[in-house]
Amino acid sequence: MLQEIRQVLRLVVLMSKQGRRHGSGSTGGLLILLWDEEAGAQRLNCTVAAAGSWCSGVEIKALQLDLKGRMFPHVSPSLEPDPEDLIPFTELHGSLRLLLSFQMKDARHWPSDWQSDVEAVLQAFSLANAGIQIHLKLKFAQKTSVRDFRAKIKAKVSRADQPPLLLDVSCPEQKRWFLSKPHGWAKRASWCQGGHPVDGGRLPLGIPPQAMDGGLLGDLSVRLVTLLHPCVLQYPNMPTELKSIKVLVYNPCNIPVSGPSGFFQTLPSSMDCQHLGLRGLQCPAHKDPEFRVGTVFTTEQWENEKKCDDEEQESSHLPVQQSLLLFLLLQHRNPFCSHLSDFVAADMLIEHHLEEILCNNKPAVMAAIRTEIGNAMKAQNQRKKQQEKLNSAAEVILSSTMSIVSCSSNVDFRNACFDLMKVADTHALSSHLGESLRRVMSWRFLPVGRCYSTQMEENLLHHGSTKSEI
Amino acid sequence: MESGSTQFFFLIDKLRIQLLNSIEGATEKDYFQEEISPFDSGVGLQMSSGHSVTTVKSNCLASVTKFAQILKILSVIYRLVQSNSYATKRDVYYNNTQLFGSQRSVDTIVDDISCMLKVSRRALHVMATSKGLIAGDLCYLEEDGTRIDCRSSSAAVSVSSNVSGIRNIVSSAKFVMIVEKDATFQTLLNDDFCRKLSPCIMITGKGVPDVNSRLMVKKLWDTLQIPIFALVDADPHGFEIMCIYKYGSVAMSFEAHSLTVPSVMWLGLLPSDLQRLMVPKRSLLPLTRRDENKLNSLLKRPYFASQPQWQKEMELMQQSKVKAEIQSLADIAPDFLTSIYLPNKLRYGGWL
Repeated sequence: MLQEIRQVLRLVVLMSKQGRRHGSGSTGGLLILLWDEEAGAQRLNCTVAAAGSWCSGVEIKALQLDLKGRMFPHVSPSLEPDPEDLIPFTELHGSLRLLLSFQMKDARHWPSDWQSDVEAVLQAFSLANAGIQIHLKLKFAQKTSVRDFRAKIKAKVSRADQPPLLLDVSCPEQKRWFLSKPHGWAKRASWCQGGHPVDGGRLPLGIPPQAMDGGLLGDLSVRLVTLLHPCVLQYPNMPTELKSIKVLVYNPCNIPVSGPSGFFQTLPSSMDCQHLGLRGLQCPAHKDPEFRVGTVFTTEQWENEKKCDDEEQESSHLPVQQSLLLFLLLQHRNPFCSHLSDFVAADMLIEHHLEEILCNNKPAVMAAIRTEIGNAMKAQNQRKKQQEKLNSAAEVILSSTMSIVSCSSNVDFRNACFDLMKVADTHALSSHLGESLRRVMSWRFLPVGRCYSTQMEENLLHHGSTKSEI
Repeated sequence: MESGSTQFFFLIDKLRIQLLNSIEGATEKDYFQEEISPFDSGVGLQMSSGHSVTTVKSNCLASVTKFAQILKILSVIYRLVQSNSYATKRDVYYNNTQLFGSQRSVDTIVDDISCMLKVSRRALHVMATSKGLIAGDLCYLEEDGTRIDCRSSSAAVSVSSNVSGIRNIVSSAKFVMIVEKDATFQTLLNDDFCRKLSPCIMITGKGVPDVNSRLMVKKLWDTLQIPIFALVDADPHGFEIMCIYKYGSVAMSFEAHSLTVPSVMWLGLLPSDLQRLMVPKRSLLPLTRRDENKLNSLLKRPYFASQPQWQKEMELMQQSKVKAEIQSLADIAPDFLTSIYLPNKLRYGGWL
């Protein structure tokens, strides 16, 4: 099923590229409708519909039989979908440019989590094709589920010599660390809902002999783009820690490809982790649901020397854990490709020989990946140095203030200090003052024009009282 | 020349009377205007009421270290005041050299705290390290009871680091002479100037004066109320140093009332003296670009509104494009300074 869906996406993208008129857009919708005819049936029907400016050049009637046979070897003609399922889609995106239906057999042989695989691929597709709203509707085993993939925040990454890229830069739900903080001390703060992609440029790739023998010719290259989540640019004093690196590879149609696992398994050993400021990189042994598409590496950081016993202190001291998304977008140009079938064949060849292509260009690709990771680590290391400076100053500020208060013989003055911090004695004062100071330092907010800010809900402390800020 | 003769000090005594009369005639309004202007000829450079506010943040990387430095110094000051002990700025710096980085940081912050709290630095129990020297007809007691006698002919006394604690000042000096440079001061000391032109007091801040040297000059004026003359090089730098004694500095403008002596008179070396005395050309130096820029800047200062003769001298320097050190007088004759120049200047009123 996954294979077929990817083939449909390839077809739509290539057809729309071919037929696209000058100046046509990259927005629109894609509907994937999966349904079974009757309960318990082992056949699954699939309908793919497309509408909008992104597929303005699609002419499905031109799909030739031989191409159809090559692209969909395991499908049969399908029943037409229920028009009721199409109406919401056309109302949103306009008249259909593409409507393709086919039927899959032997659903019982599919993996039990095939639905999750489909969702993962569509999610990854949506990341690199943010202009397209994807609607997945499953009417299976008498249950209906709908899932939409749409980019809340999009960012265009363009270069003079590169085709423009529209990325979904929305910060994933699980990365929105601000909302999970149990004790809200920033009364009204903004956080950036998105990320800021960094274009790492284009790296020419040599085509290995095996691929050439298979018919892959022309210019092949890979474009690297990185995206860091969550964005903490507006909190310049907040320490960060790069926790994971997810590598997504896309074929020239901007469709995510799985693997090449062999190549990426060697990435940790090829990285000069110490130079990057990391203890190491690890590839998870099992595939978590989140990691169905792409390769994910978890980082090993050097441990902080300070261990905080107090939970509240620890929560304010912990660095913000960030994830780096690394897009490897393959690009291919062959002036001798003119027919749709040529483009399809080239695209399929690239996917088929991807492992060899990357291995053939291993030093350059590794160096480019290393550079991108290094850039992300530079920012983290810079914050770490800043944090050290702030901590050092905080110690002096705290000790000087406590020196004055604890040495004071003026009862009124001492009581005023205790009342202000709502503590009973100098020991508690020291603790609360230190925490308050570190909070003020870490949570310094500076609006950044390019961030996608929103107001954060004011969080109350779990005990219902608020503490004054110094 | 008879140093003790009434004739010799006639003009100096007359000047003294004029100065005393001008003080008595001054009203409170002259000193404490409702709207404090940045410059007052009766006080000097003052901090204006429309002051600017500087914010030092603890959560800004650029200023967090300064924030810590300020609090550290505040805690040091607090301890000093509490224990009624004193420390020099140098002591404060050595308290934590890594934190402060340089002596200058400490000096600036102590001045800022003094200005912020609107108290004198003395009140913070942080003393400046004195670098000035004093000699002549002067005896006094330090705060701790130590008796200081500045009448030794061969050696000068360091200016006290606790000028405000000085008491029981005894002097029959007719005038005080501020000497710009230590070299000139030593020359005068070696030539027995204070005995030859006794009774007098001479003091040097060794260039740009420290606060204690200025406080000492102010103290001598307030206590003795005798003419104060300045002997500086005939160059823009020397003139500026004289202005610091007379009108104060921008950095310490918040303490102008306790530091300035607006009655300071310019004794020499005047630019017009160079022509009048026919100082050898080999002793004259051309004004550098820096000198010219400083000269232009000085001429724009508000001092000259009440000192037209000073302005004339500075314009003469500007036109002649030359400068000279006091040592250039030695090219006329080795003891020209102490035997001819100064006695004549003092006797015949050659001051501005």
